Amino acid sequence: MAALFQALLGGLVLGLIYVAIAVGLTIIFGTLRLVNFAHGAFYAIGAYVGLVVAERVDLVAGLIAAPIAVALFAFALDRLVLRRFYDKDATAQLLLTFGIALVVEESLRLIFGATTLQYPVPDALKGSAFIGPIEYPAYRLLFAAGVIVLLILVWLFIERTNYGLIVRAGIRDRIMVQLLGGNIRRASSVVFALGGAIAGLVGAAASPIYSVDPSTGFAFLVPSFVVVVVGGLGSFWGAVLGGLLIGELQSITGLVFPPASNVVIYLCMALILLFRPQGLLGESEVIRQS
Amino acid sequence: MKHSLSRGRFVAATAGAAAVTVGGGPYVIAAPTKEITLGLNVPQSGDYSDQGQDQLRAYNLAIDEINAKGGIMGMHVKTSVGDDQTKAPVARDNAQRMIERDGAVMITGGSSTGTALAVSALCQQKGVIFMATLTHGDETTNQQCHKHTFRRYNDAYMSAQSLARTLVTKYGTGKWFHITADYAWGHSVYDNITAVVEPKGAKTIKNALTPFPGTKDFAPFLQQAQAAKPDVLVITEFGADMVNCVNQAAQFGLTKSCKILVPLVDEYMAKGAKDNFDNVVSTAPWYWEYHASKYPGAKRFVDAFAAKYPGLRPSNGAECAYADIYVYKMAVEKAGTIDAAKVISALEGAKFQFTKEQEWYRPQDHQGVNSCLVLEGVPESQRGPGGFAFARVLEVHPGESVVQPLAGLSCKMEPA
Repeated sequence: MAALFQALLGGLVLGLIYVAIAVGLTIIFGTLRLVNFAHGAFYAIGAYVGLVVAERVDLVAGLIAAPIAVALFAFALDRLVLRRFYDKDATAQLLLTFGIALVVEESLRLIFGATTLQYPVPDALKGSAFIGPIEYPAYRLLFAAGVIVLLILVWLFIERTNYGLIVRAGIRDRIMVQLLGGNIRRASSVVFALGGAIAGLVGAAASPIYSVDPSTGFAFLVPSFVVVVVGGLGSFWGAVLGGLLIGELQSITGLVFPPASNVVIYLCMALILLFRPQGLLGESEVIRQS
Repeated sequence: MKHSLSRGRFVAATAGAAAVTVGGGPYVIAAPTKEITLGLNVPQSGDYSDQGQDQLRAYNLAIDEINAKGGIMGMHVKTSVGDDQTKAPVARDNAQRMIERDGAVMITGGSSTGTALAVSALCQQKGVIFMATLTHGDETTNQQCHKHTFRRYNDAYMSAQSLARTLVTKYGTGKWFHITADYAWGHSVYDNITAVVEPKGAKTIKNALTPFPGTKDFAPFLQQAQAAKPDVLVITEFGADMVNCVNQAAQFGLTKSCKILVPLVDEYMAKGAKDNFDNVVSTAPWYWEYHASKYPGAKRFVDAFAAKYPGLRPSNGAECAYADIYVYKMAVEKAGTIDAAKVISALEGAKFQFTKEQEWYRPQDHQGVNSCLVLEGVPESQRGPGGFAFARVLEVHPGESVVQPLAGLSCKMEPA
C-alpha cells in the first residue's frame, strides 16, 4: 500500500515536469500552429544556464536567469527564423525546428562537453519531508509545488490577459482572429518566448533532480509530445491531464512491471490515436484546421 | 579474411586515386600501403558519453605518440571515428562502415556490453580484430566469445570475486536490494554479485530492473528500495545513469539509511556523484593515482595525458583504450603483418606490460588477465584538483586470482 502511494507521489512529480513542458508546447501549437521540436532544446538551454549561474551565484539566481535567457533566445529565434516559415507547410516547420534542436544540442556539446553535469540540491532542502508514513525528498516536493504555482500563473495569463484572449481565440479560429484585427503575429512571438521561458525555468529547477547533458532536451521532448497528443493538441487542461496521466502511468508501471515503464507511454499514445485521435480534451476542429 | 583486407586496400587506393585526380602528385597512389586505419567506435553522445569521450582522448594520445615514432611497422596510423551512442545497432553500423568504407583493420572502443556483443559478432563475420575496451559483462569473453575479439578490461566475474571479502566484512549479510540496468551487463553483474554473497548468507529481497537506455528518473525504483528498508543497496548502473541513480538515492535518504554498493566505477561517475560516492565501495581495473605511483609506464601515460589535456586525468576506460592501441601495435610487430589470423596468434598468450603489471590474454577466451582494484570513495573535499583522485585503494587482486576458471567457461571459440 505504502509502495503504491509512493509510486503515485513519484508519478505526480514526474507528471508535473511533463505538464510544464507540454503546456509550453501546446500553447505554441495553439497560437502559431507550429509543432516545435526545438522545445526540448529550450529545456536543455535553461538547465545549462541555470547550472552555470547557480554555480557562480546561487540556485535562485539560476532560476531567474534561465527563463530570461531562454525567452530571449526563443524571441530572437521566432523573429529571425521561424517567422519566415509561418506560411510553409507542417513538414517544413518540423524539419526546421528539428534542425534547430540538433544545432542547439551540438552547440551545448561544443561549449560544455559531453560530460554529465548536476547541480547539487541546496543544503537547506536536502532533507526529506514526511507525508504520513511516506518519506519523500523535500526538494522534489518543493519542485512539484513550484510547478503547480507556475501552471496557475500560465492559466491566469491565458484566461485573464489580452494576449491570452488572442491565444485562446487563435486556438479556436486563427483566420477569424486576424479578420477581426487581432495581432496574432505579435502574440505569436510573445507566446513562443513564454513557452520557451517555462521550459527553461523547469530545466533549471529540475537540474538538482536530473543530471544534464547535451542530449537532455530530447529525453524530455519525446514524452512531452506524447503528453500533448494524449491530452489534446492546443488544450491547456489537456496538457495537464495528459502529463499527470503519463507520469502516473510510468511510475506505477515502474512498480509493477519495470521493463515496460518506458514503453507504456507510447502504448497509451497509440491507444489514444486509435480511439480518440483529437486527444482526451482536444477539440476536433484543431485537427481539421491544421 | 584476405578478402576484407584486399577490399580495405582497394577502398584506400580508390581514395588515393581520387586525391590524385583532385590535384595531388602522382606519388600519392603509393601512400595507402604505408597507412593503416583503426576504427575507434565510442559513444560521444548518450548516457555513457563521458566514458566514450575519455577513451577517444586516450586513443588520440596513443596514436599521436606512435605516429611521431614512425607508426606501426612504418605504417602511418589513421583513424575512422564513430559515435556509437551506446546503441547496439548504431555501434554495429559504425563498425561495418569503418571496415567496408574506410578499410579499418582493427576496431576498438565501446562503453557497454550491449554494443560490444554487437560489434564482436560483426567483426568475427568480417574477419577483423576487435579490441573491446569498456565492456564488463561476462558474455563478451564467455558465452558470446569470438576468435577476433579481445577484452582487456575486467569482467563482472572478476569484480565480484575481488569484492567478495569486502562485501562480507563491510556490507554484511543482511537484506540486499538491487537496482540493475536491464541489459547484458547489468544481468551479468547481478548474477555474479549474488553468486558471491548469497552463499555467505546475504538475502536478496529484490532486483529492480531499470529500462536501458533512457531511464532518467530512478524514483520509482528508489521508492521501492526505500519501502523495502534494505541493509545494502546495489546500484548496477553506469555512466550518467549511475550519477542520476546515486544522486537521486541520496535525495531519498538511501545513502544514509543503507550502505550503497556500486560494482563498477570510473572517474567521471564518481565526479558526478560528488559526496554521494563518499565511502561507497566499487571496483575498477585501473586507477591513475595508484598505478602512476607504482609503474613507470603508467606514470608516463598519466603525465602525457595531463600534458595533452590540461586539467584532466585518464579514467580507467581511457587507460584501456590507450593500452589496447599499444597491445595491437606489439602484436602486429610480433606477427610482422596485419593479417588478422597471424595477429590473433601473436596476441594469444603473449605477455606484455604497458600501464600496469605484466599481463596477458588467455588464449581460451581472449579475456585479459590483469589485476582488479577494490576502491572506496573519498569525500569531494579530498579529491584534489579536478576531483579525479576520487578513491582510496582497499585491495589489489592479481588477475590470476579472480579470473573465471577455465572449467567454468562456456566460451566456444571458433577455430583459427
